[in-house]
Amino acid sequence: MKGFLIFTLVFFLLIKPDEIKAQVFKTETGTVEFLSKASLNEFTGESSSLNGLVDLEKNLLDFFVDLNTVKTGIGLRDRHMRENYLETKKYPFAEFTGKIESLPVLTKGQSRDVTAKGKFKIHGVEREITVPGKLTMVSDNELKLEAQFKVLLSDYKIDIPTVVFYELSEEQVVTIQATLRK
Amino acid sequence: MKFKTLALLMGLSFSLPAFAQLERKLATENQEVELIFHAPRHINLLTVEPLVKKDLHFAIMHTFGTLDGGIQELWGLDNGANIQFSFEYAFSDKFSLGAARQSRDKVYNLYGRYHLLKQTQNNSMPISLSVMGGAGVNSSNYDFLQNDAPTFGERTSYAFQVMGARKFSDKLSVQVTPMMAYFVDPNPIFFIEGDQNLYLALGFSGKYKVTGRSSLTLQWIPNLNSDLRNNLGVGIDIEAGGHVFQMYFVTSQFLNEQYLLAGGNGTPGDEFRIGFNVNRIFATGRKKGLK
Repeated sequence: MKGFLIFTLVFFLLIKPDEIKAQVFKTETGTVEFLSKASLNEFTGESSSLNGLVDLEKNLLDFFVDLNTVKTGIGLRDRHMRENYLETKKYPFAEFTGKIESLPVLTKGQSRDVTAKGKFKIHGVEREITVPGKLTMVSDNELKLEAQFKVLLSDYKIDIPTVVFYELSEEQVVTIQATLRK
Repeated sequence: MKFKTLALLMGLSFSLPAFAQLERKLATENQEVELIFHAPRHINLLTVEPLVKKDLHFAIMHTFGTLDGGIQELWGLDNGANIQFSFEYAFSDKFSLGAARQSRDKVYNLYGRYHLLKQTQNNSMPISLSVMGGAGVNSSNYDFLQNDAPTFGERTSYAFQVMGARKFSDKLSVQVTPMMAYFVDPNPIFFIEGDQNLYLALGFSGKYKVTGRSSLTLQWIPNLNSDLRNNLGVGIDIEAGGHVFQMYFVTSQFLNEQYLLAGGNGTPGDEFRIGFNVNRIFATGRKKGLK
């Protein structure tokens, strides 16, 4: 009896549900890029610290990125962006939690256009958004996700400076690329 | 008892990773405090504000004549303009080299800044500490002095500063800067008031944020070993999308670090001068990922 108990204990501790269900994909190194395309000036910010989870069994998408890791290529501009616009001390993350509408069945090597619906939160403001994207089952253990959506800064109460020398666009195009693994 | 523990463990091993969203965690737990000052310069003094590797900081700085000329002289703007161009390039996140030229006495200055300590948000490091060293040469034409014209060596001067700063709150930052300047030959033909070789002073810089992108600024530099007047400056810093504008009233017309200490100061009030800096940072040698 005791031996059995220890066996089950060890069994359940060693074999995590992820492995049983085999449908949970994760990453900590996805990339996020935003493109600010104003008439006078175009620049991008990039981070490769996108954390993500895709659970095909439960149909759950969960992504977040520490906005402190977003770099635009100019250190002082990054610092101004963090302190004055994104206010990362108060609101360090951009987050998306949602699900895929009409989840496709993916087999190895297949790629499908999907639409995700869920809550996007940045600068302390949460909104329901719909994101078109593409899911690719690279191998049994690898799922690739690409998505692009637009963010209006005013929707999230992010100020645009009135006096500008590099113009900041009201509309930011956000592109996500991540390879998630089991 | 055992069953309970077992059930609990089983429950835990199932529920925790499977149902929860990802835990939101910061990429770096103990972050450095940023923007202690708006820019690498603050009125006349260099700050602890670092550049990122390969960034190029360009500052164009001006001071004008004294206010006491009134509207007739447009409060000094008509005359006495002194301009300094300064370029500073970061070879790493800690070390940068700069070159500057002040129009008064046509002084070329080379300087370096090194950041030793960085204040952190959890206060494990309470201050930021940087050092600055510079050497300059007066390139004015003194041919009219014939044989008495100063030699190259006699035209040189040196500066050394230690900048210690702390951001006390989102609004208030203070920097204390022990400074020294050394003139090989404090020739009276130079635009300096002092006649000593060595000048010691203690600079105080303050920034008080009033709105998201602007701050009131203060500078006070009491001299420690000379009878010259102390430097006083008050102003405002404004961040405008990539540029930092600094407008101020200051008692000195000088922008070069050595001349700032040896050059003398007017009385605060009537002899304040209008000053104006524009700071801009450029990224170099890097693809910005434009498509």
